Amino acid sequence: MGMPNLLGNRQGALWALGLLILLARSGSQIASGIPPSQGEAHGKVFFEAKIRPLLELHCLPCHSAEAFAKNKLKGGLFLDSREGWTRGGDSGPSLIPGSPAASLLFKALQYHQGELNMPPKGKLPPQAIRDFETWIRMGAPDPREGKIAKKQLGMTLEKGRAFWSYRPIQRPPVPVLKNRDWALTTLDRFLLKGLEDKGLTPVGDSDKATLLRRVSFDLIGLPPTKEQLQKFVNNPDPKAFESVVDQLLGDYAFAERWARHWLDISRYGDSVTLRGFVYPQAWRYRDYVIESIHNDVPINQIIREQIAGDLLPFEKDATRSKNLIATTYLALGNTNLEEQDKGQLRMDVVDEMLDVLCKGLLGQTVTCARCHDHKFDPIPTADYYALAGIFRNAKAMEHDNVSKWIEVPLPMNPAKAMELSQHDFQVADLERQIKALKGKEEGKGIVPISTLPGIVIDDEKATKVGVWQHSNHSMNFIGSGYVHDQNADKGKKTLSFTAELPENGKYEVRLAYSPGTNRSSAVSVSVFSPGGEKVHTIDMTKPGPIGGLFVSLGEYHFEKSGQSFVLLSNENSKGHVTADAVMFLPVGDNAIPLPKQGGLTRAKTTANLQIKDLEQQLKSLRANAPDRPMAMGVVEEKTIEDARIHIRGLGSNLGRPVPRGVLQVALYGKAPLFPKEKSGRLELADWIVSPQNPLTGRVMANRIWTWLMGHGIVRTVDNFGTTGEPPTHPELLDFLSMEFLDKGWSLKSLVRQIVLSRAYRLSSVASKELTKADPENRLWGRSMRKRLDAEEIRDAMLWIAGNLDPARGGPGFPKNLETDYGFLTNSKRRSIYLPAFRNSLPEILEVFDFPDTSVVMGKRNQTIVAHQALYMLNAPFPAGQANLAARLDRVKQPDLDPVRRIQSAYVRVLGHPPTLAETQVALRYFQISGDSTQALEALYHALFASAEFRLLH
Amino acid sequence: MLQTLSRREWLSLSSCGFGSLALTGLEARNQTIGKPANINPLAAKLPHLSPKAKRVIFLFMQGGVSQVDSFDYKPRLVADDGKMLSFDDARVIAKTGMRGSSQRIMKPLWKFAQHGQCGRFASDLFPEMNRFVDDLCFIHSMQTEGVAHGPATLFLHCGATNSVRPSMGSWVLYGLGSPNETLPGFVTIGPSSGNGGPRNFGNAFLPAIYQGTPLGKAGGSPGDMTIKNLQSRLSGKAQADRFGLLKELHAQRLSETPGDSELEAIANSYELAWRMQAGAPGALDLAGESRPTLARYGIGEKATDSFGRQCLMARRLCEQGVRFIQVTYGDNSANPAWDQHSDLPKHGFHARAVDRPIAGLLADLKERGLLEDTIVWWGGEFGRTPYAEKNGTGRDHNPGGFTVWLAGGGFKPGFAHGATDDFGAAAMEGKVHMHDLHATILHQLGIEHERLTFRYAGRDFRLTDVHGKVVNEVIG
Repeated sequence: MGMPNLLGNRQGALWALGLLILLARSGSQIASGIPPSQGEAHGKVFFEAKIRPLLELHCLPCHSAEAFAKNKLKGGLFLDSREGWTRGGDSGPSLIPGSPAASLLFKALQYHQGELNMPPKGKLPPQAIRDFETWIRMGAPDPREGKIAKKQLGMTLEKGRAFWSYRPIQRPPVPVLKNRDWALTTLDRFLLKGLEDKGLTPVGDSDKATLLRRVSFDLIGLPPTKEQLQKFVNNPDPKAFESVVDQLLGDYAFAERWARHWLDISRYGDSVTLRGFVYPQAWRYRDYVIESIHNDVPINQIIREQIAGDLLPFEKDATRSKNLIATTYLALGNTNLEEQDKGQLRMDVVDEMLDVLCKGLLGQTVTCARCHDHKFDPIPTADYYALAGIFRNAKAMEHDNVSKWIEVPLPMNPAKAMELSQHDFQVADLERQIKALKGKEEGKGIVPISTLPGIVIDDEKATKVGVWQHSNHSMNFIGSGYVHDQNADKGKKTLSFTAELPENGKYEVRLAYSPGTNRSSAVSVSVFSPGGEKVHTIDMTKPGPIGGLFVSLGEYHFEKSGQSFVLLSNENSKGHVTADAVMFLPVGDNAIPLPKQGGLTRAKTTANLQIKDLEQQLKSLRANAPDRPMAMGVVEEKTIEDARIHIRGLGSNLGRPVPRGVLQVALYGKAPLFPKEKSGRLELADWIVSPQNPLTGRVMANRIWTWLMGHGIVRTVDNFGTTGEPPTHPELLDFLSMEFLDKGWSLKSLVRQIVLSRAYRLSSVASKELTKADPENRLWGRSMRKRLDAEEIRDAMLWIAGNLDPARGGPGFPKNLETDYGFLTNSKRRSIYLPAFRNSLPEILEVFDFPDTSVVMGKRNQTIVAHQALYMLNAPFPAGQANLAARLDRVKQPDLDPVRRIQSAYVRVLGHPPTLAETQVALRYFQISGDSTQALEALYHALFASAEFRLLH
Repeated sequence: MLQTLSRREWLSLSSCGFGSLALTGLEARNQTIGKPANINPLAAKLPHLSPKAKRVIFLFMQGGVSQVDSFDYKPRLVADDGKMLSFDDARVIAKTGMRGSSQRIMKPLWKFAQHGQCGRFASDLFPEMNRFVDDLCFIHSMQTEGVAHGPATLFLHCGATNSVRPSMGSWVLYGLGSPNETLPGFVTIGPSSGNGGPRNFGNAFLPAIYQGTPLGKAGGSPGDMTIKNLQSRLSGKAQADRFGLLKELHAQRLSETPGDSELEAIANSYELAWRMQAGAPGALDLAGESRPTLARYGIGEKATDSFGRQCLMARRLCEQGVRFIQVTYGDNSANPAWDQHSDLPKHGFHARAVDRPIAGLLADLKERGLLEDTIVWWGGEFGRTPYAEKNGTGRDHNPGGFTVWLAGGGFKPGFAHGATDDFGAAAMEGKVHMHDLHATILHQLGIEHERLTFRYAGRDFRLTDVHGKVVNEVIG
């Protein structure tokens, strides 16, 4: 910047001042210098004279007990006692007596590029550094015997292992109860015990209609039909409920409902917020989750596939496909692809994966430990980097100005593979023919701009910096000539060709220049698009490969108002730099037909017609290209290594390397061994699903309980750390966890077990006694009233209107959609199949608390806001479904009297008949408006909008 | 205190939400911030400090206005025009870690002169705004995070470059509530869908009632400037009948389960929606504005019509007591409006579009006595470099030194704080980080930024993270 380094001068002055004081204090001994070998006493004198003042001036303000007391301690390092530097800070021991080269402190003083540099205000003068070297070589004599003031931040590992969530899961004894008749299943006994201890009695069971609506929404996300309700209510068989539950569990709709829960804890999204890029393959993961849940694939297997599917053995291609698709889980982050510091971005991606994995599967907030030991939980920074090391070995991005996620090809059956290779061959063949024909068309001549396709910016229109000489000497150019840099003022001349593009889309950019032997063989040409800058080096001694005029600078996505220009510079060039024109040629599926202005004038030959024909063929071939199945995921890095601690989370401040590992506080049994040649994801996954892992089983059991019962046994479902809430029923949680693990991690078994309990069947209406004694229902003396999720509201309306499209799977957006901005869908499929676009969620999902697709959300927000009411009253969708429901009603039951019709609508929408008073209200409305379909539509609309519809009793 | 409230408690508060709105009396209006009251969480709350301002209008110049071509006067740029000098370019540093890269100084394309009583130097890029320099408080030493638009835009709005955080308007609404019951308390006019889109006015983990309500979108037509679903497709009578039916059904249900607060809350959300439907369209309608007022904002003239309407809307919302109003001049592209990488003269086009409307807004607010307790904040997500990008004819992004101005709300009028180096490249004196600006604006609203917290995922979050300090020099 040309600013003088004032700081350096000032420090120099201070240093001199320090020396003066020092000399005055210690007399002539110092000035003459003491050789390092003269014994301990001399060592101490040397320390007092030379080292202590330096430490006090430059180091202790941030590395001392005093700094610690002021909350200003940096890097966990104390330099105010021998013990301080022996133990060291976040990066390990600071000094190795006798070895300056091995001492971190000494390295930091030397100010090597890209490493830890100290002191932060500037390098010490050479003499001071030499003194440190001498002192360390002497064995670093230090008389300061004080103890480190530092307290352990957060919880120690020892204390942590005694905390409830880190203790091993154990099967608890089943409580003995006073009331021996109430419990239907073992889990009920744990709940009743809690109530009995408080002298409380649970409420009675729900009525059957309420129970059926409850279990139907809870299991398949849809309401029961009128017929199902009638059948169930009138069935006296005590096993009727059980058979309903089994039927629901087997329904594909169960997977479509429960996969969504899993997606909530996997921050599933189909695009990225910044720039709105669509993830074209993410839907495969969503379909994988649905299929896995439908087939009741053990949850531990799903977890292994998600974390390390690409590393798992396989026999069949289908297995391989499934395993690869599962790893999309790791790649779904809402990443800042345009972060310019790519080292930082790499660690951000790792951090995001860790956050999702640890919150989602382990209930741990580890990412606090990225910058410092966790302030509350027993998770030291070293644990964070032990885990980060594993994921740092998994490549998730190809880095570029705007980085790109990774897609891997899926195995194909031979027929498909053949089809694709044939296609590739045909494309290559056509391209070759076109190129050959075009080669023949080369020749000298003057090409008028009006004859060229696309948007052409002639050299005359370019913005010039420096003097550019106009010329038409070569007689082979576009327009009236070309310009050159006179082979002078290298590095001072530029040309910018800015295009005014009519539409957003993909364009090929071509540069025309005037070739010749006296031209530069390396000209720097940059294309600026919204994706950033792409630099090309052009050899102007040779003619352009396209028609002897143009060279292609590649294809780019441009936006109408975004940057779209080519910048040509004469920097570092030898020989003349020339420029003739720049062409922006619309291509691909985004090609916008521009007014045809004919081909090159000199090329109206048969060959040219042939070219046109071949190009047409190529275009249609490309448009009908067979799908190439890919999956979003990660691949192993080429170099497998451990991560170094990033002090305070900074990539520029690297500490000691940490061997890959797992959370120590939750490690029982043997620590996993991490292979040298593999990332270690598989070993990590195995630890996560190990039966000895105290967290995973508990977290999963608690999640499943929450999704059915409305609240967790641990209410902070994503946080099983010390800042979370403790379980209301620790024994019950352990019982359920053990049941879950013992039954092979089967989701459906645990769901079945919970749903068939007495507790699940209770009424949600609290007795006065319970409301008073347990207002928050922590003892489960009653059922929790829940609210329908956004998807349930939407799907139920479509279902009741007979309008739900039953199609399964596949992407929910057009094949070549690039960005999600402004995406609208009128799909009638279940909501799980709507694209979870991060910039354009369907309005109904947005309004009714759909989870944030960027973070793990084990429990959704539940809000009541006026926008929801406005949506239900005025948006076209609810009214439209009400209209269809009313018409369906008329068709199905043409001859009902108004009272029966009102009852039928109530049963279909709310699962129960209206009260007399409610019937009268509706009747009055019918009387005013006439018994028309419109009136019936109004009734359905009101019922959809009603509070009752949204509540699940 | 907010800090002691658990997320669950707040969510339960929000679920009582509009339920008790009808009961909201004077007591409710006088809640102190964060008092776990049993009442409407949107009701106006008493701030931590004695407030100097009641609301904010943020004029967002998306893409980044060049400070050295507008308000940061640097004669050296003229003297050294064309010279190659070494600069610490933010993009080069982020990409390579290298400091010092050779860049060609490019002089301002607009002429500077002194304006107003205060004699402030400003260029003729914004001739209309220059008439108000005596009302403006400039900060020339702004710094922010993020070299690219996306991260920097998120940082400007949410105080974080990528992590999901509530936007500033949501924090303000959470802290102060809103005195208006028929309009949302946080409104963003013409927001861009790019560079973070809805996240820039999102509530993130705060309860949803604190989210920003968009009026129209960037690049939309003037007719779009309204709240979604405010208008029914039905005739007035059919609408009223249908609403009446719903209301009666709710009343029936409530009579059977009296005291059911959740049911009541949903029923009352419809009452509020109904009131909004009746009251909001009038508040949002510019039709009643006089001809001279329209002219003052440049409405009816091609260059200024669109942004003029946005600014006038902002004034109307301001009068209605809306807490936080953002007005975006931008578009939906990855290189938004002010992003002149190759064609700096195009700044002139954008300046013409915003200059009159902003001057009109300032004049109007002053006349109506609203400027006193309204903070008007003008600025972008970052500034631009004083040297030519790639030796070309535009300027690249500059998060290390740029200018914003504030007016009203207790900010010192006719004042300038901080300075960049001789070239306008990097903030040198009185550096103000974006976190500091956030803290200062909150302070003027009566909020201590360190106390405005929300517990989520086991820790307390704030707009300013663990940073931010109030810039006392700029407040009266």
